[in-house]
Amino acid sequence: MLFHHGEQLRLERLPAERSRIIYPPEPLAGLDDPDQAIRDALENPIDSEPLSALLFADMRLTIAFDDISLPLPQMRRPDIRQRVIEAVLDLAAEAGVTDVHLIAALALHRRMTEEELRHAVGDRVYDSFAPRGQLYNHDAEDPDGMTLIGTTRHGEEVQISTRVATSDLIVYVNINLVSMDGGWKSTATGLSGYQALRHHHNVHTMRQSRSFMDRESSELHRSNWRQGEVLRDAGIKVFQIETTVNNDLYGDGPLKVLAKREWEWTTRDRATFMAAKAGLDRLSPAQRRRILHGWRAPYAMTSVQAGEVEAVHEVTTRHVYDQQLVPVEGQTDILALGLPYICPYNVNSIMNPILVMCLGLGYFFNLYKGRPLVREGGVLIMSHPTTPEFHPVHHPSYIDFFEEVLAETTDPLVMEAQFEERFATDEWYRHLYRTSHAYHGVHPFYMWYWGSHALEHLGGVVVVGGDPATVRRLGFRPASTMSDALEIASDVVGRQPTITYFKNPPLSMVDVT
Amino acid sequence: MRALRFERDVVRFGAARLASGLRPGAGSRWGPLELVTDDEPDLPGPDWVRLSPRLAGICGSDLATVDGRSSRWFEPIVSFPFVPGHEVVADLVPDGSTAATTDATTDATVDGASSRVVLEPVLGCVTRGISPVCPACADGRLGNCEHLAHGDLDAGLQTGYCCDTGGGWSTSMVAHPSQLHAVPDDMPDQAAVLVEPTACAVHGAMRARVRPGDTVAIIGAGTLGLLTLAALARFAPECSTVIGAKHPHQRDLARALGATVVCEPGELARAVRRRTGTQVLGTRGTNGTRSTNGTHGASTSRLTGGAAVTIDCVGSADSLATALAITRPTGRVVMIGMPGVLRADLTPLWQREIELVGAYAYGTEHPVDAEGAPTGESRRTFDMAFELVRAADLGRLVSATYPLERADDAIAHAAEAGRRGAVKIAFDLRQRPPLPTSTRQTRTRPPSARN
Amino acid sequence: MNIDDLRPGRLVARLGFPFTAAPTPPGVEPPVEPNRLGDRYDTDWARRPLARATRQAVIRTVGRVGTAALARPSVAGLDRLDGLDSNVIFVANHHSHVDTPVLLTHIPRPWRDELVVAAAADHFYDTRPKAALISWAYGAIPMERKKVSRRSADTAAGLLDDGWSLLIFPEGGRSPDGWGQPHKGGAAYLAVRVGVPVVPVHLDGTGLILPKGSNTPRPGKVRVNFGAPLRPSDGEDARRFAIRLEAAVSELADESSGDWFSARLRAHAGDTPGLHGPDDSWIRDWRSPDRRPQITDSDRRWSSGRTR
Repeated sequence: MLFHHGEQLRLERLPAERSRIIYPPEPLAGLDDPDQAIRDALENPIDSEPLSALLFADMRLTIAFDDISLPLPQMRRPDIRQRVIEAVLDLAAEAGVTDVHLIAALALHRRMTEEELRHAVGDRVYDSFAPRGQLYNHDAEDPDGMTLIGTTRHGEEVQISTRVATSDLIVYVNINLVSMDGGWKSTATGLSGYQALRHHHNVHTMRQSRSFMDRESSELHRSNWRQGEVLRDAGIKVFQIETTVNNDLYGDGPLKVLAKREWEWTTRDRATFMAAKAGLDRLSPAQRRRILHGWRAPYAMTSVQAGEVEAVHEVTTRHVYDQQLVPVEGQTDILALGLPYICPYNVNSIMNPILVMCLGLGYFFNLYKGRPLVREGGVLIMSHPTTPEFHPVHHPSYIDFFEEVLAETTDPLVMEAQFEERFATDEWYRHLYRTSHAYHGVHPFYMWYWGSHALEHLGGVVVVGGDPATVRRLGFRPASTMSDALEIASDVVGRQPTITYFKNPPLSMVDVT
Repeated sequence: MRALRFERDVVRFGAARLASGLRPGAGSRWGPLELVTDDEPDLPGPDWVRLSPRLAGICGSDLATVDGRSSRWFEPIVSFPFVPGHEVVADLVPDGSTAATTDATTDATVDGASSRVVLEPVLGCVTRGISPVCPACADGRLGNCEHLAHGDLDAGLQTGYCCDTGGGWSTSMVAHPSQLHAVPDDMPDQAAVLVEPTACAVHGAMRARVRPGDTVAIIGAGTLGLLTLAALARFAPECSTVIGAKHPHQRDLARALGATVVCEPGELARAVRRRTGTQVLGTRGTNGTRSTNGTHGASTSRLTGGAAVTIDCVGSADSLATALAITRPTGRVVMIGMPGVLRADLTPLWQREIELVGAYAYGTEHPVDAEGAPTGESRRTFDMAFELVRAADLGRLVSATYPLERADDAIAHAAEAGRRGAVKIAFDLRQRPPLPTSTRQTRTRPPSARN
Repeated sequence: MNIDDLRPGRLVARLGFPFTAAPTPPGVEPPVEPNRLGDRYDTDWARRPLARATRQAVIRTVGRVGTAALARPSVAGLDRLDGLDSNVIFVANHHSHVDTPVLLTHIPRPWRDELVVAAAADHFYDTRPKAALISWAYGAIPMERKKVSRRSADTAAGLLDDGWSLLIFPEGGRSPDGWGQPHKGGAAYLAVRVGVPVVPVHLDGTGLILPKGSNTPRPGKVRVNFGAPLRPSDGEDARRFAIRLEAAVSELADESSGDWFSARLRAHAGDTPGLHGPDDSWIRDWRSPDRRPQITDSDRRWSSGRTR
């Protein structure tokens, strides 16, 4: 079986009679004329007037869009956001709207660089707005730039960018890669700050979200929806545009083999794979990263819908499920994962150990509907080198989190109580978040909370091929080979466990019955 | 008597320097240090007494000397040939007898009282028979004595660097009564031998003039680093201490001795930053997405604020640079570790008005209050050291002892103490005649544990 | 001996037949060679494999380096060609002889590999060597610009039908004064006739490098802006489509001189500045090489000592 192993690839054997493999579905066909589809969606929105009817000459229009964390890996030009934003702006130009701001809705993520913004919105939009200061990254720590809107009936504060709060219309341009994205989470999270986010980005909420990929069963989303209600009641008008993409990561290019099932590999595929593996193994980590992060996926747009937030998101979720949902019968004792080189928080960066935890126990573990793929008390085996490498610019607070917090505890509740606030209010992290390209000080905590449901559910986590000291600091067990890992796991789940290999990426989501 | 004697021998000195470049501590095998059998040193004056050392520690400055790395600064205040060893607990030898005739395997007593003493090795005016004494000695600041090459004795800043007094790495030496501190009966030799280095640490901690609430960073967690930590914890309990320790046993000891934060040496700057809530300037790789090769601790180049006091117990160019980078403006850097010749960029010292303070030896301490004004009381550093050794159970820092015959092993062990899980290595001179193998090796790790 | 006698023509003439043509006997009509120049020049050979391969090799090496050194082109708007899978007509404004090499090197693949350029039949196809050179180097086809020529239109339409793309400068020639000239209808006509989309292109800055009337290029910076492909809508005739094309090029020019959104605002408001410049301006006369007063020394009251 092919396992992703960070920036490398590994082949592992799984016991034949007890193992099953979940492959991602084939990519759906993309829309024939995406630009026309976008124009149609804008003119025929769901539960809303057409966009052109909402625009008038001297209005304040704010267009917010998803940040660098979507889609993964970045898609080939033109990015969907560019297509949608250009269509929206063309309508705005027709209506003579001049007061337009474009905001990268990155919440507490790192600021995007010029190059990344150009990639997302296109050169034309960038050159039109960035020089006038009308295209910028959201700044959740700007003392003058955030407005407290109110509190939900559960006492959760709702905070949003002042520009958004004072706009006549917000157009949100989203890319729904996984079913977690979109809906009110776009605005209530993406354009918000620590004050509001802490009400759902916490251990309690994450443990009640089963999973956070399934909106109906996700406390994270319920909280966001409550905050969305407050926004709506405060008169903030959001025109939501959501898009979905297929899971065509590799196209017909040389890496096509990675998307194929192993038994379908032709001689040529096997040769390509061996060459790719040998090549990657021989390169230095920095070179590997440069090559892999340079990859642009040929994602095709499978749907676009616009209009009222909640109604739009229903349709979007259906489209995501169409592409990704795989029905699976029964849980398993051991869940095996091959973690790739990228997660939402290390685009053009380094996948540090905390992100490894978040990708495995946060994202991949939670890609389920119904019940987790692995039974309670089961074992998760992930394959990743887990080296203690951090990007000094993007992840400064992660380094301290690793050195200080993880040296003390791996219990998310203890972290929340003892360390979170100090990291969240640290002046240096704030400074770097606002002026450099650093994730917010509190972000590593959220990464750990993302995995808190899995930590509670699992009987153990084994990392194959991981740096032993680092893996131990994460509170996991290191193993050098898959058979060692299965051996270690047998201490927890017995001699003859069932094994499920959930092959991601390309992304898929399981519906476990 | 048997002694390890250090000769003036340029060729072997060079050999020691070369050999120690390959492996620290190798200077003992190739250098001018030799085990000799010789006459006992004469008593230099009528008051002087003869001592029979029991335990004698190996200090960082001893290692530098043996490895041929000590500064030429010492040339006029050292006289050859000398017997090293200034961390000494010894038995007083009764008048008229020689050390060789004393049965040292039992605790020798004179008139029923303990005759065990700790040596305060500085050879000041009183010891040298100089009268009137220099202003420093008059003030009790023995370490600052101006007459280190005058008077009755030949040149030598301390016992252990003077040809007239002998030294602790031998079976017999002489001392002036003003140098001696009686060891209480209930204090074991291991504890007593640490009094002298502890006094150095106490002096360094007092030189730091720490105020309540200050953050103090300590670079290095060898004997001096740990002792300084203990001294701060006892005599400046209202400060918080951040210590960078490389080896697991050092980290455990640092925690046990009261460190607020214990971290890897490479993480020290970040730990100080977290503790003091300051910012970092000049992070490498600010332009885009350049990556580091895993040395994440070195990625921060300097703090905008930082520790009020940084105590450098290493004394290398790197440690000084680190100290200057993590000390806040108008803060203080105290050098306790013997620095030697090193290259340093002193721009931060100038721009941030940092005080660079040396801390050598001991004498009399004048504690200051929270405002930095003297409290008026004064105590002998050695008295404070005795108190601290007892209170913090510092005897546990002696990791292994060796007989003189195994000097090469002892010095190699001391030079690699951290890596080999040790802190303080000492010579054990109580067993006489020396057995071919040491009987006190129980606390030494087997050589296989070296890596 | 007269210096004129050493000219090669004279030397050959001295050698006589068979080095020169035999004199026609009096009373015999000399055979008239059929005119194979102008729009009658047959360029088929220039699209055969050998010619194509050598042309592409030259474009990729000399062309690329040369234009990079001379024009330092920056290209925008290529993303607007995404999803376009047919052959197209590129319609560009025309300032300079640099335009064609810049576009030949910067039109993206796959269109670049199967591209013909419409070149003025009267200017480039007046002698055989010139015609051969332009056909080979640019993959050019002769296009009659002064009169309506069925022949050149048929050739171009045939090539478009065969899947070739066409680069055409509908202004019909280089701008004499830096301002645009009215578009001729050829491109729109071909698009309507064959049914291929048209990609408007705007080139900014080539006029400063080698304007009409100048022979010494001055290195400069060129911006190439590709627009979104346009298709004639149902029932739209060539004349109206041509107006749309001209507007599209103007909008691209507006975009290049400012930013995209402002250009869109002006386009929707109908305020896009035209490329024609003022109708009556002394600047037009000043810049125009055609209208530069031809004064000879003899007309002047003083002499520069220079003979014409």
